[in-house]
Amino acid sequence: MSGTSYGWLVLAFPLVGTLAIAFGWLGGLRGRTAGWIASGAIFGAFLSAIGALIQLQDQPEESRSLVDSAWTYVATGDVKVDLAILVDPLSVFMCLVVSGVSFLIHVYSVAYMGGDRGYTRFFAYLNFFVFSMLLLVLASNFVLLIVGWAFVGAASYLLISFWYRRETATRAGIKAFVINVIGDVGLVVAAFLLLDQTGALDYAGVFAQADHVFGHNDGTLVAACLLILVGAFAKSAQLPLHTWLPDAMEGPTPVSALIHAATMVTAGVYLIARTHPLFELAPAAADVGAIIGTATLVFAATVAVAVTDLKRTIAYSTISQIGYMVLGVSVFAYGAGMFHLMTHAFFKALLFMGAGSVISAMGGIQDMDRMGGFRKAMPFTFAAFTAGALALAAFPFTSGFFSKDEILAFTLERGGWYVVLAIAGYAGAALTAFYAFRMVFRVFYGNPVEEARELEQGHIAHHPPSNPATGEPEDTDVGFPAEEHHIAEREWPMRAAMGPLAVLALLAGVVQVPGVSDVIEKFLEPTFADSHFHDTAPSDSSEWVGLLLGGLISVAGIAAAYHAYVRRRGITLQLRDRFPRVHAFLVNKWYFDELFEALFVRPVATAGGFGRAVIETRFVQGFIVGGATGVVRVGSSLARAVQTGYLRAYALLLLLGVALLILYFLLASS
Amino acid sequence: MTIHLSIILFLPLATGLLGAFLPRGLARWAVLAGTVAVLAYTVALLADFDGGGGLQYVTDDEWIPELGIRYQLGIDGLNLFMVALTAIAWVPCTLVAAFRQHDRPKLFFFNLALAETAVLGAFLAQDLALFIVFFDLMLVPFYFMIGGWGTGDRVRATTKFMIYTLAGSLLMLAAAVALGVLSTPDGGEISFSLADLQQRSVSEGTQQWMVLLFALAFFVKAPLFPLHGWVPETYRSSPIVTIALLSGVLSKVGVYGFLRIVLPVMPEGAQHWQELFIIVAVFSILYGSILAFSQDNLRLVLAYSSIAQLGFIVLGIFALEDKGAQGAVFQMLNHGLVVVPLFLIVGVIAERARGSESLSELGGMAFRAPVLAALFLIITFATLAMPGSGNFVGELLVLFGTFEDKLVYGLVASVGVVLAAVYMIRVFQGTMHNRPGPDVEPGEIDGLHLAAIAPLVAVIVALGVYPHFVVHRTEKATTAAIQEARGIGQEVANR
Repeated sequence: MSGTSYGWLVLAFPLVGTLAIAFGWLGGLRGRTAGWIASGAIFGAFLSAIGALIQLQDQPEESRSLVDSAWTYVATGDVKVDLAILVDPLSVFMCLVVSGVSFLIHVYSVAYMGGDRGYTRFFAYLNFFVFSMLLLVLASNFVLLIVGWAFVGAASYLLISFWYRRETATRAGIKAFVINVIGDVGLVVAAFLLLDQTGALDYAGVFAQADHVFGHNDGTLVAACLLILVGAFAKSAQLPLHTWLPDAMEGPTPVSALIHAATMVTAGVYLIARTHPLFELAPAAADVGAIIGTATLVFAATVAVAVTDLKRTIAYSTISQIGYMVLGVSVFAYGAGMFHLMTHAFFKALLFMGAGSVISAMGGIQDMDRMGGFRKAMPFTFAAFTAGALALAAFPFTSGFFSKDEILAFTLERGGWYVVLAIAGYAGAALTAFYAFRMVFRVFYGNPVEEARELEQGHIAHHPPSNPATGEPEDTDVGFPAEEHHIAEREWPMRAAMGPLAVLALLAGVVQVPGVSDVIEKFLEPTFADSHFHDTAPSDSSEWVGLLLGGLISVAGIAAAYHAYVRRRGITLQLRDRFPRVHAFLVNKWYFDELFEALFVRPVATAGGFGRAVIETRFVQGFIVGGATGVVRVGSSLARAVQTGYLRAYALLLLLGVALLILYFLLASS
Repeated sequence: MTIHLSIILFLPLATGLLGAFLPRGLARWAVLAGTVAVLAYTVALLADFDGGGGLQYVTDDEWIPELGIRYQLGIDGLNLFMVALTAIAWVPCTLVAAFRQHDRPKLFFFNLALAETAVLGAFLAQDLALFIVFFDLMLVPFYFMIGGWGTGDRVRATTKFMIYTLAGSLLMLAAAVALGVLSTPDGGEISFSLADLQQRSVSEGTQQWMVLLFALAFFVKAPLFPLHGWVPETYRSSPIVTIALLSGVLSKVGVYGFLRIVLPVMPEGAQHWQELFIIVAVFSILYGSILAFSQDNLRLVLAYSSIAQLGFIVLGIFALEDKGAQGAVFQMLNHGLVVVPLFLIVGVIAERARGSESLSELGGMAFRAPVLAALFLIITFATLAMPGSGNFVGELLVLFGTFEDKLVYGLVASVGVVLAAVYMIRVFQGTMHNRPGPDVEPGEIDGLHLAAIAPLVAVIVALGVYPHFVVHRTEKATTAAIQEARGIGQEVANR
């Protein structure tokens, strides 16, 4: 089989999985079977991706870019779009990461979602998500990319509002969906600009023409790249389009792990890497990307230090880490950016899985203020979560250590004002290490809370079902989220998913160690061979200097967290009381939600009210309809003489008028 | 294969008449069989249609020779899918009416059948006078259906509906007569045949006011801002199948008139008003979207969303660019295909909420009605033009066509895409999700409505997977329809 056949198979497995589960449900499919079907489908996609990988590696380097078209999607005028996939190192890399991590998260969910009344629906959505994400990365043109892009957004919407009886969940869903649509529109306009200038919509055609039609920093191209960034930032939750992601934590925790950490939110990074020939011609747009990425990584890290909701802390951490990736691909360090995308998928999925286990043990409570001392009660979860936190904190020789510092080393290497970005990146790294272990110490250390003590005695805490965000009681007749809770210590599928991820989080860095190995860089090279920044890679020695610095920062951050949360507990409370304004500013996430509320939501609502109250009643009904009925009234008062109803009279009058007109024209023409 | 358009055209009316003389139980089957036969015939037509050819299956007979009016029917890329949409939409609506309309059913069926014939006639007519005859004939059954079977303040609703549409079509009639008369060359015979009218010409100044009169009629029918004064009451009071057809199919007759009549016959006049019509369209998009977002009644949300969607279609047409017009034609089909099932679903919801159709009283139905929710979800996504749906391809082409010369208008219209996401998701959530409303007694979709809605969803999905099926067949005629006006526009720009 050829590489593209495997590519189609990659797509077919999750699509068939979705349909099989949906129609299976109609046919009476219940219980964990749905979960295993879904997991099997994703495993099939993973194997197919490996097949594509093998086929691709058999090709000579310069022909590792295979396109295959199924049929013409739409063709009219200069628009020519095929339903076609592109199999090249970058897309295969993404397929492997997406399907591999997705498979583990599916397995985790088989147990974690057990007992939820929406179990089958959950797996149908989850498989549909994976299909959409794979479509996104395999698309060979901008239109199909936008299709995958939007499907991913739709799947994300469905899964955020999965527990749709909660108003907080449905509100979070609509927010995520709308911000994603803003991104879609950005991509649509960008696609038009590219079509207009290059006459093509497929990647190969656009990139081949771009060199000829666009000069350096051509205005149209910069505009197109900025619009691509709008799409990328909406999906990847970068400033200022990030506000949906923390709210997305309303979804079940495996969703947070899969969609809102490991895969979907990294689509923006993939997109910038995919369209790198454009960004290299428009470095001004790339600089905007680098600056916003840096701003985001610092901003989100500061919030993650302050919020106390466990899942939202990890969500802000995701925003921050994607900031690093955006910075990486925007300074043309593609290999480094994709490397961090991969390692982040491992350790962030793992952190969410650990958090899910803890939240289950807490009976659904997510607030870290209520947690503590789970170390003994949940040794497996503790070990796995700590492994993830070490990688997040870039502790020496973990995966995050190598990937994050490679990005910063590249940024430093660019020199000039990029040094400022690198310094901000290191500052963010210190905060990252601090908040990563703030979570570890607050959840697992200290005096065991009641739930932890109960668990040590062998039973899992159950609270009356309530919405963790508002505290209001849940409808019991609906039964989702499940009343029973599942934790890693007791469920082998959860452990089977977390174990490999923990190993990968700690060790996956070996594939790319400066001076030792560069598997990813080498594998992706055919995709990025046309890059003009091939030679700006930092030397091994300067990378090791960076690594040393990064390692020191990481250790210092962890030590600070240890000091603040273990040795001298309460010091943070003193800080909070000392600087209440700073704390409020951080806890309220820099007031972005309030800002958007005032800027967009309220004006639209006001305009709607104005339209209804004033334009509709005064103008449309009052002036136009009123005018028309005025005419009718005159007509009917005339017609009263002949004793007819006013509608008939009106029609009659008009007919009469028209007849006169006809007569006039007939006379005039003769 | 010979296809006789007159059979398609009069079959519904014939079965409607037949039904009138049959007993109640049989009447519904007769009318239903008529719509299904039309659909089957249309499928044969779709299979047989030559995408590269011009006007096909032409029927051309003398009708009123003294006035130059001919009985002229024909199909090309412009109306092929409008006929298909009519045939597709009438089946589920008749099906639902057949088993839900218990009050004077035979009369209702007759009106429904007459309406189908009238709409098909308007789409098929190749003679301006014949078009107007059918255009006005459409009003009659709808007037009776709203007035006779409507709810609430139906007298006020029918009055407004009639005043608006009658005023519009009488203005059009006046313009049409003037067109026929003024275009008759010295010593020549008067003719209303569109082919003849296209050959002949009237002065640019005359074209300008004629286009305006035609546009008034078509904008009222669409409807576009600010001529939508009849919409709220009519939408609120009509029987559900009537409003489904009114919004899904009838609204397309107006915009179709631009492509069939206004642009080819009066290109200078159309080009003259291009900017104005684009502004009306863009304003309708924004205004309709924002109003849709702030309505509580489900029907009104859909009413205002239709104003926005029709705005997109008119925008695509008057961008006077091939892609845009193509998108508009495709979107005419797509919008009809989503609006019909949307209204049928409103009916399903109301049946399960003690007749309530207001969002503030609904919610939480998905749990007991997952199949309903799934169908509704797919239609919702298609309505908001989610990429992967046919509606997306239509809107994409409309926007691409608009960006070409009118970038700023296109960008403003793009805001409508975002707003559509807001109001459609709001509708879906407000009915299916959140906590159950006070009046909701949720239950799964019944077999009747499932049989009516599921095939429509299948068509929607199929068009999302293979939109080229439509685009490929409409391309030639659409490009030809706007060609002349477009050329004039380019000339003006060059000058």
